[in-house]
Amino acid sequence: MSGRVIVITSGKGGVGKTTTNANIGTALAKAGNKVVMIDTDLGLRNLDLLLGLENRIVYTIVDVVEERCKLKQALVKDKKNPNLCLLAAAQTRDKTAVTQEQLKDICDQLKKDYDFILVDCPAGIEQGFQNAVAGATEAIVVTTPEMSAVRDADRIIGLLEAKEEIESYKLLLNRVRPNLIKSNDMMSVEDVVEILSADLIGIIPEDTGIITSTNKGEPIVNDEKSLAGRAYMNVARRIMGEDVPFMNLEEETSVVAKVKKFFKGLMGKEK
Amino acid sequence: MKDNIFAELYNKLLGFFRQAEEEESAKDVACNRLRVVLMQDRTNLTPQLLERMRSELVELLSKYLEMDKEALELNLDQEGEQMALMLSIPVIRAKDEEEIEKALAEAETEKEENEPSEEEVEETDDVEESEQTEDETEEVSEKEEVKEFPNKEICGDCRECELSDDIECEKKEINKTAKKSK
Repeated sequence: MSGRVIVITSGKGGVGKTTTNANIGTALAKAGNKVVMIDTDLGLRNLDLLLGLENRIVYTIVDVVEERCKLKQALVKDKKNPNLCLLAAAQTRDKTAVTQEQLKDICDQLKKDYDFILVDCPAGIEQGFQNAVAGATEAIVVTTPEMSAVRDADRIIGLLEAKEEIESYKLLLNRVRPNLIKSNDMMSVEDVVEILSADLIGIIPEDTGIITSTNKGEPIVNDEKSLAGRAYMNVARRIMGEDVPFMNLEEETSVVAKVKKFFKGLMGKEK
Repeated sequence: MKDNIFAELYNKLLGFFRQAEEEESAKDVACNRLRVVLMQDRTNLTPQLLERMRSELVELLSKYLEMDKEALELNLDQEGEQMALMLSIPVIRAKDEEEIEKALAEAETEKEENEPSEEEVEETDDVEESEQTEDETEEVSEKEEVKEFPNKEICGDCRECELSDDIECEKKEINKTAKKSK
């Protein structure tokens, strides 16, 4: 088996890299793939929190690199899905603790046993980014329809294009707010795609459910009713090569849709 | 639910009136600003180089036009694969022939000292002319709203008409033909 190594990056912090990583990983695993997620944000790890695995971490990626444990020992299995596991970052070390070669080596080893290796990249374009990208052949650039995020995404795209190992990169537009786009207060999906001239792999609506799901340590894809969860599921299907049309967020978030959803909820409860 | 319906209706109404005012939307502002900043990011033109280009352009253009040097805007824009240089200059007035001749003569003497290639000068000249016409039309549309009445009254022997492009008068016509004949 030779798995695909996908790095999830953004340049700017706080646009939802880690959330995206947790959700796409969970979605891919739900679809029957063997998935491993690597948190490369040394010193600022968070992926474990989003997955609710923070209490299960014994060894980290630094322990693997410094040969205090075997790679397999450091992989933390997900609570629900045995197909999914996490290689956590060390919280007490900085970005220099793992080199590009070491990360590439880890990815190469994991490729043999897993379908997908998702690398969660730290914010910024320094060493942490260079390390995270080292082992990957594909990239997902996460951005939001905000100027600063789009600008940083453009910078990241420039850097990814200069890397020979990266065969393709896709854009994921996060925290989209259809109401603001409708009133011309926010850049639309089309605007961002045009400005960055990159292929789109997903549009994720802003969803308050993300906050509660993060608090509970359970990725929102597990909630099939949530809009963001469904959007992430669609991204995972697109990664697997399916041709999934993009959701019409304007329709989904309209009053009519909400009324429908409300009644559906009522009916569901009666059963 | 009811609250939501009313909120949406209210927003729609607001949106309608906003459009009526023809105010540039936050989205458009964001897009335009981003395009400019990304152009600068993508090209390796540092702010210093851009500033130098700007001042050189000012120097060149001021031979022909009296303009608001501080308000000159220089932007790089991307249209598909093509990169375009957008120049916006508020023209105070067109210089008359004598002044232009004088400025050119001055530049000529300087040139003899420095000897830059002639090709370069010609090229930039062409660009300026096309840009200039564009900008003039822009200026017109901007100023139309503000100055509609006062200028028509003044328009006689004074130079007020030259300050604004939206007023037609004899003097201006003369200036125009003088420009063309050049």
